[in-house]
Amino acid sequence: MPPPKTYRAEGLVLKNVSFGEADLLVTVYSREWGKVRAVAKGVKRTSSKMVGHFEPLTVVRLALARGRTLDVVNQGEVAENFGGLKSDLPNLTKGLYVAELVDGFGSEGSANPPLYQLALDTLANLERTPGDDLALRYFELHLLRVSGFMPELFHCVECRSPLEPEKHRFSPDVGGTLCLDCHPPNVQVRNMSLRALKVLRLLNRSRADSLPRLEMPAPLAKEVGTLLESAVLYWLDREIRSNSFLRHLERAAKVEIPS
Amino acid sequence: MTAEHLPSTAPSLAKLVQELNKLPGVGPKSAQRLAYHIIRLPNEEAFDLAEAINAVKRNIVFCDECQNLTDASPCLVCGNSQRNRDQICAVEDPLDVLALERTRCYQGLYHVLHGAISPLNGIGPEQLKIKELFRRLTDNSVKELIIATNPTVEGEATAMYINRHLEGANIKVTHLARGLPVGGTLEYSDGLTLSRAFQGRQEI
Repeated sequence: MPPPKTYRAEGLVLKNVSFGEADLLVTVYSREWGKVRAVAKGVKRTSSKMVGHFEPLTVVRLALARGRTLDVVNQGEVAENFGGLKSDLPNLTKGLYVAELVDGFGSEGSANPPLYQLALDTLANLERTPGDDLALRYFELHLLRVSGFMPELFHCVECRSPLEPEKHRFSPDVGGTLCLDCHPPNVQVRNMSLRALKVLRLLNRSRADSLPRLEMPAPLAKEVGTLLESAVLYWLDREIRSNSFLRHLERAAKVEIPS
Repeated sequence: MTAEHLPSTAPSLAKLVQELNKLPGVGPKSAQRLAYHIIRLPNEEAFDLAEAINAVKRNIVFCDECQNLTDASPCLVCGNSQRNRDQICAVEDPLDVLALERTRCYQGLYHVLHGAISPLNGIGPEQLKIKELFRRLTDNSVKELIIATNPTVEGEATAMYINRHLEGANIKVTHLARGLPVGGTLEYSDGLTLSRAFQGRQEI
């Protein structure tokens, strides 16, 4: 349902682009209306009352007016700005990764409150426990769930037989786990360890506000990350831009400067 | 109306409209108005405009040192022996240099990054003049690097990235203060600015 002529929304700013001299075209994922794109007029001027409100990863409460092509922000206030998240570069980049995926999976004109809540919970988790990538893995799995793309984790998607330990593989193309006997044609299939499957099942039944404390060895963390990324990429169907900078940060060696 | 719809009796005019239409913020109607204005200009004014565009494209280069746009490298700031060579101020954009120069309170050198790190737009450090900045910092003559990127998420990401790479180096890295704009009000400032302003409060 499209919003009325003037409406209120609480949402997370996903991105902004310059629009004219001092305006911003902002993309907000709102609890009430899903993705909203609106012009915020004059907010690049330091004299604007709403300066700084439309930085990515800020939760804002807005009053908007529907326009012919683009909506216009009339009033706004910041509800939460995740200052702790933004003061750490890797953490900020992870936050932007969350924003990029919400932008990719959220749609305009249809609300998805669980997706909104998931995004906020994930940002709060990242802020609380910086450096813990489990919050991102939780986000990816539940992003698929609330968007209707939850991968199957308990049965073979082809023959529907319950999975036996150590006898399973994973394929985002067919929507989850496969047993060793099924070979659907023309699909990409990945091997999946029992521990990775257990981690996914654990994440599936966890809650955002009480994520399990899990010490995963690096290879297992990588496997879980790759499995979830392949499923997210399959449905997103385009490259995740913030990922490349995240990888760059992980690799980055310090530039040698003689002291 | 686009250039193709103009009468074919004036292909050179149509071409001008078409070219003007490519400028940012200039739609087809404005392009036509500008084109007719140029036709009505005295010859020398119109040729001055053409020559100015020509000269800009022929002469403008990046300054070898600060990467700012200049007619001749080194630019006027880098070539000025009166400027303080201990300090480098890194900015996102050539226009930021002009803004800082207008304040007349900084006597050091600049470094123009030509953008900011923007993970959402796929802009990483490789696309910016960050390598050139680090190269300038290797000769030990610089004592302070002032990071004057915009206080946006992208600008902050750039500042943090540069700072991370200079940890342990013998250079003082500072960034511009965050706080309340002159003429602003507390009531309408966002919490983050207000808290930074509070942290950065000074004795009067």
